[in-house]
Amino acid sequence: MSNRTLGLMMGAVALLIVAVAVVFVLVLSGGDGDDGGDTPARPASDSTDRDDAADDRSTQEADDRDDGDRTTGGICGENRLVTFGDDPATVFDPIQVGDASTAEYTAEIFGGLVTLNLDLEVVPDIAERWEITDGGRVYTFFLRDDVVFHNGRRVTAEDVKYSLERAADPANFSPTVLDYLGDIVGVRDKFNGRADDISGVQVVDEYTLRIELTEPISYFLQQLTYTVAYVVDREQIEDDPNNWTRRPNGTGPFRIKTFRPLEEIVLIPNDRYHLDPPKVDEVVFSLSGGSLSTRFQNDEIHVALVPAVELAGVLSGESELSEFYRPVPQLSFFYLGFNVNEPPFDDPLVRQAFAHAINREAINEVLFFDAALVADGILPPTLPGYSEAISTYPYDPERAAELLAQSRYADDMPRIVLTFSGGGGDPPDNLQAYQQQWREALGVEVEIEAIEWSAYLRELRRGTFQMYSAGWIADYPDPENFLGKLFSGSSRLNHTGYASERVDALLDEAATLNDQEARYRLYHEAEQLIIDDAPIIPTFWTISHYLVRECVQNWVDPGTIVPKYRYIEIDTSGE
Amino acid sequence: MSQGLAGYVIRRLLWTVPVIIAISILVFLLLRLAPQDPIDSLLGQRYDEEIAQRLRQKYGYDRPLHIQYLKYVQNLFQGDLGVSTKHGDFSVAEVIIPKIRVSAGMGIMAIVLVFGLGIPVGVYAALVRGSFLDPLIIGFWLLIDSIPVFVSAVVAPWLFALQLGWVDLTYEGVLHPNIILPVFVMSLPGVAGVARLMRASVIQVSNEEYVRTARAKGLRERTVVVSHVVRNALLPMITAIGLSLPGLFAGSLFVELLFGIPGIARESLQAVLGFDFDVVLGLVLFGSVLFVLANILIDIAYGFIDPRIRITAARGG
Repeated sequence: MSNRTLGLMMGAVALLIVAVAVVFVLVLSGGDGDDGGDTPARPASDSTDRDDAADDRSTQEADDRDDGDRTTGGICGENRLVTFGDDPATVFDPIQVGDASTAEYTAEIFGGLVTLNLDLEVVPDIAERWEITDGGRVYTFFLRDDVVFHNGRRVTAEDVKYSLERAADPANFSPTVLDYLGDIVGVRDKFNGRADDISGVQVVDEYTLRIELTEPISYFLQQLTYTVAYVVDREQIEDDPNNWTRRPNGTGPFRIKTFRPLEEIVLIPNDRYHLDPPKVDEVVFSLSGGSLSTRFQNDEIHVALVPAVELAGVLSGESELSEFYRPVPQLSFFYLGFNVNEPPFDDPLVRQAFAHAINREAINEVLFFDAALVADGILPPTLPGYSEAISTYPYDPERAAELLAQSRYADDMPRIVLTFSGGGGDPPDNLQAYQQQWREALGVEVEIEAIEWSAYLRELRRGTFQMYSAGWIADYPDPENFLGKLFSGSSRLNHTGYASERVDALLDEAATLNDQEARYRLYHEAEQLIIDDAPIIPTFWTISHYLVRECVQNWVDPGTIVPKYRYIEIDTSGE
Repeated sequence: MSQGLAGYVIRRLLWTVPVIIAISILVFLLLRLAPQDPIDSLLGQRYDEEIAQRLRQKYGYDRPLHIQYLKYVQNLFQGDLGVSTKHGDFSVAEVIIPKIRVSAGMGIMAIVLVFGLGIPVGVYAALVRGSFLDPLIIGFWLLIDSIPVFVSAVVAPWLFALQLGWVDLTYEGVLHPNIILPVFVMSLPGVAGVARLMRASVIQVSNEEYVRTARAKGLRERTVVVSHVVRNALLPMITAIGLSLPGLFAGSLFVELLFGIPGIARESLQAVLGFDFDVVLGLVLFGSVLFVLANILIDIAYGFIDPRIRITAARGG
C-alpha cells in the first residue's frame, strides 16, 4: 500500500472527525441561540462556574463519606433543600398550567388573593380579608397594601382584575379557566368572545375588589387557590409576550434562579414576600439523574420517592433507609365504574354483588406490597371533610352470590367487558385479580379490554363503557371536587350515568352552604348514599412513599398544590 | 478527478431530497391516521368540546390532511418544525435540540471510549495470539459485552456510587464528571466488537508481503508494527466509525431511562407515548437526514481510500 493511499486514508479519518465536530458544534451553538435568554440556556462561563461548584460539593461529600458519617454533614451541611421534581409540562404561565408538576413550581412563584396552608385551609395571601354578602353571591376582597411583585412593583386591585380577565381571554386558550373561574359572572361571556371584560369582577378602589358569582358557591375560595387565579404582571407580559414565562415576575415566596429544562429548577427566596418568608437559601428541584432512592442513600438528595417495588426492601428493617421512610396518603382514589343504564349494571344488586366479591385487602398485600390503602369510602382520609363513618362493601363471597341470585340477571348474564386505558400486553395484575374473584364468587366471566388513553377518555365521555377502571385526583381540597364532579346528575364528569334525586339535592344544598361542618355532614350523607347505590366500587386510596432526611424540618406533602417550601428549614447543626 | 467526485456527491445529495420527502409523507400519514387524538390526550379529563375545538384550530388539526401536510412543509422550509403539544408553547426545535446535544455529547464520549479501548485491545490481542493472553483478553471483553445494559445500569450505580463512593448519580450536565458512569455503562459492551475487528485486521495485515519486506529490511519490530501493520489495519475502522455516527444522536434508551438523562432516546419514547405529533415527526426527519448523510459520508470516505470506487463513481455510478 502506497504512502498516497495511506495519506488519503488519514484524510478520510480526519474528515470524519471534523464532520462529527462540526455537527456537534452546530448543535451546541444552535441550542444556545434558540434559548435566546439567560434563563434556560447555559452561558459558557456560567457552566464552568457551576461545574466547579458541583465539584466542590462532591468532594465535600466524598470527605464526609470517609468519616463514615453521612447524615450530619454532606447534604445536611448547607441551608439549601435538594429535592426531586418533574419537568414542567407547560410554561410557567398560571393560566396554562394543567398538570401537577408545573403547578407545584407555579404555586411557589406566583400567588393569588387567597392560598392554602399546610392543613389545606384557605388563608389570606394578597387579600388580607374578605366579606361574603348577598347570600354567598358576592365576595369583596380587601387587599394588603404591602404586596409587591418580585421586581418591587406594588400589586393593586387592577392587577387582580387584569389577571382574571387575561385568564378568560379566548386568545389565551386557558384549559382550566372554566373549571375554576366559570362561576364568576361574565367569565363565560368573555371566554366565548361575547364580552371584552368580566362584568362580575369590579375594582372598587385601589385595594378593594368585588367578585360576583352566578350563584352562591361555597367552595369558591378553594377554587381561587388554583393557579389559574394567580396574579401576573401586566407590564412584564406586555413588554415580552413570548418569553416572560422564562423568568416570571410573580408575587410568590420564591423566584426562579435557574431553570434548565429536564435538568434542574432552582428557586431562591423573594426577599420582599409579604407573608412568612422562606427559611432556606435555595430550593433545588432535580429533574433528572438516576434512581432517587439510590441517590438518597448516596446523600445527594434530601427527599426521594420510593417506587412500590422497592418498598419491601426499604421497610425490611435491615435497610438503613427505613428510618427516613414517610408514607403520605394522597388526595386521590381508584375505582371501578359501572354504566348504570346498561345491562347488567342497571340492576343495583349486580353492582353490589360485584363489590362484595372482590378481596381488596388481599390484592393490596399480594400485588401492591401494601403500598396502597383499601378505600373504605370515596373521600380520601386526608381530605378536609373526610369521615371515618363511611363504609364500603367488605369482601364477602357468600353475600355476593346471594345478591346476584336475587338480581334480574341471575339466570341470564349478558357479556361483560371491563375497559381500562393501556397499551398491549397483559392487563394490570389487580384487574386480573378482580376477574378471577368474580369468576370464583359469582361464576361470572368478565372480559378485560385495553384501550389507548385518548380514546379511553373519549369513550368515557360518551359513556359507552359497560364497566371501566378509573382514578380521580383532587383539583382542590373539597368534597365537592369528588362527589359533585363525579356523581352529580348534571356534572359533565359523571361518566356512570348515575342520577339520584336525593344525592343531587344533598350536593346542591352542600354547594351553597357556608357552614363548613354542616356542609360536611351533607356530603357524608351523600357519600354513603352513593356507595350504597354502587355506581362505582371504590378500590384504593393512593399513598406516596417518601424518604426524607431528618435534617429537613416542616416537610409535608399536603397531597395537592400548596405553596409549601417557605416553611422548610434545614437543620445544619448536625444534631 | 476531483470534479467527478464533486458531481457524485452532489448527485447523492440531490437524491436525498425525494427520500426525505417520502419519509416525511409516510410518517405524517401514519401519525395523523392513527386513532389517537392529541387534543384528547392533552386535555385529559378536563375535556371540553369548546376548548378542544379551539385547540384543534390552533394546531390546525381541523383542516384536511393534505393541507395540514403542505402547511407543515411550508413551515419546515422556514425552519419551523412546529410546536410540541405536550410541552406547552415550546417549539419542536426548542424541545429536541437540547436533548440532541446531551445524547450527542454522550455519544461522542462513547465512541472515543469504544474505539480508544477497542483498537489497542485488538492490536494487543493480535500481537499475542497463540498465547493464553489472546483468548483471555477477548474473552474478558466478550463477557462485558454479554451483560445487558439494563443489568449493568442497575449494578454499576450500586457498586460505584453506594459501595465505593466514587461517583454521584445526580445528572449535572454532559460536561460534569457524574456523566462518566452512564457513558461507561453505555460504551463498554461495544469494546469487544471493535477489539475483534481490529484483531482480525491486524492479523490479516501481518501476513501481507510488505510487512514481511519491512521485517526483511531489518526494521525494528516496533516500527514494523506501528508504521506498517497498525496503520493499515485501521482501514476497516473507518467504516465502523462511520456506521456508528447516526447512532451518536440516537442515544441509548436504557441508559437514559435508568440514569435519568434528558437525552433524545427518552424524549422520543415520551413523544410517541404522548402523541406529540410534531416532535415525533421532527425526530424522525432528523434521524433520516442523519442516516442518509452518514451513508454518503462513508461512500465519500471510501472513494478517498479505494481508487476503484472513486473511478466508478466518477463515471456516473
